[in-house]
Amino acid sequence: MIALARLVVVGFVVLSIVYICLSLYSRAVRRRKLAAEWEEEQPPIPRDTFIRVGLEEYDGSLRRKLILGVYVVPTVLIGVIIYLVNFA
Amino acid sequence: MRIFRLIITVILWTLIAAFFHYTLPQKDIVRVTDTENRRIDFGENSIFWASPDVGSDGTRRDRDVFFIQTVQANGRPMVYRNEDTGWGWPPYFKFDTSNLQTEAADLKSTAADPQWALITHYGWRNEFYSIFPNAISITPWEGPDAAKPIPWVNIVILTLFAMVTYAIWVRWRRFRKARIDPAIEEIQDGWTAAGDAVESKRGRIRRWLGTWRR
Repeated sequence: MIALARLVVVGFVVLSIVYICLSLYSRAVRRRKLAAEWEEEQPPIPRDTFIRVGLEEYDGSLRRKLILGVYVVPTVLIGVIIYLVNFA
Repeated sequence: MRIFRLIITVILWTLIAAFFHYTLPQKDIVRVTDTENRRIDFGENSIFWASPDVGSDGTRRDRDVFFIQTVQANGRPMVYRNEDTGWGWPPYFKFDTSNLQTEAADLKSTAADPQWALITHYGWRNEFYSIFPNAISITPWEGPDAAKPIPWVNIVILTLFAMVTYAIWVRWRRFRKARIDPAIEEIQDGWTAAGDAVESKRGRIRRWLGTWRR
């Protein structure tokens, strides 16, 4: 049980670091794209408001939730390996 | 400097190759001659053994280990150990050691009436160090000359490794071109302006950095 606990704890910490980095990066990319869009289209709203609304939209989007795959994919992979090695 | 760099590079890639050769699964066509269970006192070769059965007491320095004795298609012997890898390294998540031992015992055959089997394993056999590859699975196989399945797992893992390595390398090169090289040049320009005394030393750092350039 100690070995399993170690795998879960270390895995969770490592994947959390990846998740946080990826989230920050993805948000930065979104922000840059929104700024570029504002420059190009010149909408009749201030630049800051445009970016803020865009980011709020992004916060509720499916694209952002897909980053949770960082946790899901390795877990599923381990499940598949366990099945193939021991029970297939 | 160039020789030194070459040696470091060769050692590094040899270690990486050895790591993959040890850890990735390989398949052998063998004939099981016997299976046994013997007590092992782990010594300096303890790193080449996996973990005790999941759930059992893992604190003792010695324990019983299953072995599968085989003869390969080329007639030479090969002995496999059969241990749980459990939740540890390498990530095979193997818990069915006792079942595998039963399957191996079921495939036992004699040279006169051979029953061939395909055994998946990782690890190395080394007589001087008393280490054995760890068997992962075993299935009956047509014969010693039958084709082995395509190693998809190895292809996928090595391709991913190559992609990640290349991606990091490209980014490092780009970073060095954009940030480090101009900084060095700036320093050297400063030196040039400082006068002729420094002139002779000009480019020394550049030349040294050049030895790291591919």
